[in-house]
Amino acid sequence: MLEGLRTAAAGMAAQQTKLDAVANDLANANTTGYKRVRVGFADLLYDQAGRPAAEGVTVGHGARAIQTGRGFEQGSLKETGNPLDVAIQGQGFIKIQLSDGRQALTRDGGLHLDGNRRLATSTGALVQPAITVPQGISESDISITRDGTVVAGGRTVGKIEIVNVRSTPGLLSAGENAFVTTAASGNATAAPASTVLTQGALEGSNADMAAAMVDMIDAQRTYQLTSKAIQTADQMMEIANGVKR
Amino acid sequence: MDRGLYIAASGMLAEQVRQDQIANDLANASTAGYKADRTTQQSFGSLLLTNSLTGGTIGSQTTAVQVTGTVTDFTPQPLKDTGEPLDFAVNGDGFFAVRTNQGTRYTRDGQFAANAQGQLTTATGNLVLGRDNQPVTVGADGKVDPRRLIVVLLNNPRKTGDNLVTGTPGAVAGQTAGQVRSGALEGSGADPTQAMVDMIASMRTYEAGQKVIQTIDETLGKAASSVGTVTG
Repeated sequence: MLEGLRTAAAGMAAQQTKLDAVANDLANANTTGYKRVRVGFADLLYDQAGRPAAEGVTVGHGARAIQTGRGFEQGSLKETGNPLDVAIQGQGFIKIQLSDGRQALTRDGGLHLDGNRRLATSTGALVQPAITVPQGISESDISITRDGTVVAGGRTVGKIEIVNVRSTPGLLSAGENAFVTTAASGNATAAPASTVLTQGALEGSNADMAAAMVDMIDAQRTYQLTSKAIQTADQMMEIANGVKR
Repeated sequence: MDRGLYIAASGMLAEQVRQDQIANDLANASTAGYKADRTTQQSFGSLLLTNSLTGGTIGSQTTAVQVTGTVTDFTPQPLKDTGEPLDFAVNGDGFFAVRTNQGTRYTRDGQFAANAQGQLTTATGNLVLGRDNQPVTVGADGKVDPRRLIVVLLNNPRKTGDNLVTGTPGAVAGQTAGQVRSGALEGSGADPTQAMVDMIASMRTYEAGQKVIQTIDETLGKAASSVGTVTG
């Protein structure tokens, strides 16, 4: 029977996954520190074709989408002038603790002071280790150096730790612009010294609108083309049915 | 029974195999480093027909159609720029070498990643080999010098799925190993336009087979019902 029906359906499903990833990238085109999703495709098993094919004639069974983590290229920096905004330049993450207690990593450096005057991200996750700014010091008196040292009113009150993992595709997205480490990503270790913080700026999303649009058109057209293979297989079955009138 | 029936049916079955192959090409129209397939058809052994009364020869007739082979077109395809540091493409002939559980395999799909040990892997987690046939470590800056990756020329390359290829490494006449580029991927070798045309052609051939069967059926019907009747 015509295997091409399922082969084409597998290809269409793969394109759907790609489209979902592109949609997510587009939705996050303005999310601070967002990293775009990398989706690729792989062909499926090849096996012996049915009669009347000779030995060794193989037919493939379609494609599947494979995700290779995210593209961690640097997003462009946006000047905000806010003393508690920090942008990471180079590879690395800020260590934070999520509201559910899990240790996580983020590149979203839009920080603020919480009710206990501790440095926290915009979603309320505390910077690890906790950095408390003493009472009576206004935000404009806080300076954050390139290596992450936080100086409030002339006194060093802590250091924002910048860490990195060996395998960024192994990181698990935890939502809230954060990632958690897994066995596949390896543990968080100190980031290379070339990674620095810039105070008063935020890192923009690295989702490229133009590339996302092209990817979207590509995915949609491939989806459409592959659907034609299903239509043709359907017509051929109709022809086979028409052999006996 | 009329052998034409079986010949036509075998032709239709051969077109089904071709259709399956075209569907696979279309499904992989966006797969990096994919190589398109072609099926080759051949007539089955032919028979010499003779006139049973006089013994004179009439001529030869083939007995059926057979799909005899799959030909994969391994011609290098244009590269597309992705800017991704761990995307690689071979500009020219040759394959990346990959260590799998089944032994060394080869691929033209350079969408790589780093594993927990900091080694370069394929998207499916197999280690990518360098010029020393050992895994390649990703640098602290998250990049790999493309010159460190080995490019292997293969004799009789054959696709095995998951974008992998088997074959015998060695010099191939008329080929020199290409250069590796980073930040680029090789486009799919499936040509959607060609696939569409092939698909229509194949479907019409299939339809023609159907018509042949129908016509032979009519002829046989005539033979069964009309021969021997006296028309008045």
